[in-house]
Amino acid sequence: MAASISGVLDTDLQNAVLRSKVLVVGAGGIGCEVLKNLVMTGFTDIEIIDLDTIDVSNLNRQFLFHKQHVGKSKAAVARETALKFNPDVKITHYHDSITTSDYGVSFFKKFNLVMNALDNRAARNHVNRMCLASDIPLIESGTAGYEGQVELIKKGLSQCYECTTKAPQKTYPGCTIRNTPSEPIHCIVWAKHLFNQLFGEEDPDQDVSPDTADPEAADTAGEGALQTESNDKGNVDRVSTRTWAQSSGYDAEKLFMKLFHDDIMYLLSMDNLWKKRRPPVPLIWTDLPDGVAGCSKDTVEPGLRDQRQWSIAECGSVFAQSIKSLSKELAERQKKCPSDHLIWDKDDQSAMDFVAACANIRAYIFGIAQKNRFDIKSMAGNIIPAIATTNAIIAGIVVLHAFRILLDNLKACRSVYLRSKPNHKNLLLVPEKSVNPPNPLCYVCAPTPQVTLALDTTKMTVKELEETVLKTRLNMIAPDVMIDGKGIVVISSEEGETEANNGRILEQLGIRDGTILKADDFLQNYSLTITIVQREAPAVKGQTPDFLIAADPEDLKPKEEDDGSKEPSTSNGKVEKFDQDAVVLVETEVTPQSSDADVSKKRKTVTPPPDVVNKKQRTENSNGYEDDDICIIEDSDSDMQCIYQKSVSPTKHTNKPSETKYETEAQVIPNKCMLQKHKPLLDEECLIVYDEGDETPIPPTVKQQRAE
Amino acid sequence: MMTEEMDGNIIELTDAEAELYDRQIRLWGLESQKRLRAAKILLIGLNGFGAEVAKNIILAGVKSITFLDNRELSQLDLCAQFLAPKNAIGKNRAEASLERAQTLNPMVEVAVDTESVDDKPDKFFENFDVVCASECSLTQLKRINRACRKNGVKFFAGDVWGTFGYTFADLGKHDFVEDVVQSKKIQSSEAGEPALAKVKFETITTTVKKSITFVPFETILDTCDLPRDGEPYYLLKILLNYREKHGHDPLPSERDTDSLKKEAAVIIDKYKLGDKIDHLICENLYAQISPVCAIVGGVMAQEIIKTVSQKQSPHNNLFLFNPDTMCGKILCLGQK
Repeated sequence: MAASISGVLDTDLQNAVLRSKVLVVGAGGIGCEVLKNLVMTGFTDIEIIDLDTIDVSNLNRQFLFHKQHVGKSKAAVARETALKFNPDVKITHYHDSITTSDYGVSFFKKFNLVMNALDNRAARNHVNRMCLASDIPLIESGTAGYEGQVELIKKGLSQCYECTTKAPQKTYPGCTIRNTPSEPIHCIVWAKHLFNQLFGEEDPDQDVSPDTADPEAADTAGEGALQTESNDKGNVDRVSTRTWAQSSGYDAEKLFMKLFHDDIMYLLSMDNLWKKRRPPVPLIWTDLPDGVAGCSKDTVEPGLRDQRQWSIAECGSVFAQSIKSLSKELAERQKKCPSDHLIWDKDDQSAMDFVAACANIRAYIFGIAQKNRFDIKSMAGNIIPAIATTNAIIAGIVVLHAFRILLDNLKACRSVYLRSKPNHKNLLLVPEKSVNPPNPLCYVCAPTPQVTLALDTTKMTVKELEETVLKTRLNMIAPDVMIDGKGIVVISSEEGETEANNGRILEQLGIRDGTILKADDFLQNYSLTITIVQREAPAVKGQTPDFLIAADPEDLKPKEEDDGSKEPSTSNGKVEKFDQDAVVLVETEVTPQSSDADVSKKRKTVTPPPDVVNKKQRTENSNGYEDDDICIIEDSDSDMQCIYQKSVSPTKHTNKPSETKYETEAQVIPNKCMLQKHKPLLDEECLIVYDEGDETPIPPTVKQQRAE
Repeated sequence: MMTEEMDGNIIELTDAEAELYDRQIRLWGLESQKRLRAAKILLIGLNGFGAEVAKNIILAGVKSITFLDNRELSQLDLCAQFLAPKNAIGKNRAEASLERAQTLNPMVEVAVDTESVDDKPDKFFENFDVVCASECSLTQLKRINRACRKNGVKFFAGDVWGTFGYTFADLGKHDFVEDVVQSKKIQSSEAGEPALAKVKFETITTTVKKSITFVPFETILDTCDLPRDGEPYYLLKILLNYREKHGHDPLPSERDTDSLKKEAAVIIDKYKLGDKIDHLICENLYAQISPVCAIVGGVMAQEIIKTVSQKQSPHNNLFLFNPDTMCGKILCLGQK
């Protein structure tokens, strides 16, 4: 071990390494490599935490784990294997989540430094806050494919993890998912929602049907739709999907006919949807096409089993088989605990089969290209490919940064990027010129964090404020909220203290335009001052976000009056990226929309403020390392566990009347998606959130926004 | 060579392989994975750097890897050599590494050869698609490179000294395919609404066949026209010269002696470097530091994977890791 042999490391470093105590958060792809480097270097006191267990698909890179370890705790096995490399080191492991209250400020203060090797943004945000609160240096790292990044986070010296706005999760408008899908991903999202409706935790925001509370009434549904289009119908319907499926004994044929025939007939009856779109074609269970476009049935296609394209008839039988085994599994679980449900997992054979089959059947109905199971798994599971070499390189840089921190040379810990190809200077590993300074307006690491929150105080409930704003958007774990100057407790983290407030509208508690809220998270040692700005909810729910958040109140001023010249111009090379990215979402929306005027208005509303655009350009021109040097951040590993826990509940209690007015929404959405994706310091909650696997590479534009 | 051999026997991956290699197949594709599982690798020198290369290559799922090493495991090796257990000190390094290496991936054939590379005839290298040499003298490197060239074997070299390291590639004439991503502007003006003509972009990925001709190691050893911030190149020369002369690398016990400085002085004088590389000479250059083995060994293994799968452009031809700045730079040296 390097530190135990004199002369290998210089004396200062040797002593610092021997005396140090470090924490590694995550024992996945990067975590395994970091742990190996630490024990080989001769670190003597290491703690490692991970709540995950080992999966076969980890073994190609998480080299401390072998086949016989599948199913065991990552932290425990990583410790066990690393001790064989160096039996003289003390390693403490925790098979646990770092976000629990067991790991408070006093826990973090034990360490000289913390190394993150995480795969999701929620945990990264939390550790960021804990290290800021404890004033302990944090080394943040992530990989995606061939690329990776390492950065130092130190209070007062560097940017924190939340100083820059990360790209919001990909979202798809409810109406696109439920009524007018036009891309494979829309069908895949729909299929995952269907899974939850049938077997998982029911989420009102994941409704899958166009309407029809009662499958018996399907015959007349079309007429009903035409008459009551503007009414809210979703509430009744969503309760019934599972109830109905259960009462039919999860009969595959009945389910198929409801989902892929009756519901489609209903959609067809909403004829203005199909004036300029290809109308969907309902399918009949007993008469499914068994050909695959471009393939003869007899030839064996080369490739993986999962890469073969299923015919619709095959999809039908996979649909039936997977329903059979999933409903059986659900019944068994509910025998033990009636409220239990399944959690969708891309690595569960039946769950994945079900989504692949349903997505393809729906794609066929809407004339969308079908995908094979392999590709659907990537999209549905948000798999970011991960390889051993990238993780090894990034973990090496993490530990070199650790050396510098131990020598108190923090300024030398400049962010380093690993690129998939050398840049124009022929650099494969690209360091920044200096440590990125903190963002003075950061709502997390500024001396007195504050934000302006625009929402409709006459519509939003306390529970919605807690779940969608404080927890989901502002990443608090257990917030306490008081009205400043009045001492009124709105939300308490103590169980039972403020339950009575949950269903109340903010206005009823005296929260209105200009009210100042003090939000605290005791565990994170984080206090945030929130200034409320009244912002009328849109006439049609779902058109604009339920709330907007900005560090600078100027960002929240209505922009409807902005003239078009302030829009990002596509003639400008830098800004072109905005549209370029957006094409991913909109390119197949080839049908002209009937209300294009609405579209353009919408677009102005959410256009990034011009000052932000300019700022970005300045950054790119001034930092010496052009945009192509700065690639990505986030992680490699692809484990969905925490994501699902996270994605199921927050919107549960929100009772949104947004399920109507399909056509209007459908037409506004493409542009909305595109702009919201890039909108700085804003967020939106009213669209269906496609769980991003928490493995979102951060686009360069976002990352750089405040690098100056 | 490689291509013919692989085209000749297209075997589909088993379900077990598909499951194990799932995440990387999603990155480099099935075709690359099939080429990898047909590749035979020779790894010379099982030090900390060699262990990193071995780990990454074995995890990637090559057909076979042979560890060639006649040295004994030393205390110093344990600074980074995680494949060999502590109680194997004094035993052959390749043999000591076998068990843990095999555990990394039971689907890969791991073999051990304890002879000296000097005892191997040129024909020996024909048995492999790729040769990766570490801890070899300049004389040995030149000779192995020549033998590989003669037989159309892809040659790699790499080393780590403390926190400094390099990798080198001579792939002869190397054919590969590369994905070229282009962004195309689409003007879609809709009838009746010319004012709302949308500008869209579409990314088009095309696969292009390419070829690069490499030069042998000896041609990069006497370069005068280095690019800016190419200083680590001189450090490489100093350390290779030291090894050639002393038969081993600078030892930690010699940290405060002049033996390395003497070797440095020769190069500083020859290239009139003044004090330009003094800070590099002061770096930790003794034994091998684990995180740096991970970085340089990671780059080396990725280059081998890239070469075997004949996809994407390999680095031509020298990669240098600067421990002071953390720059990892590619230098294209020795071109005529």
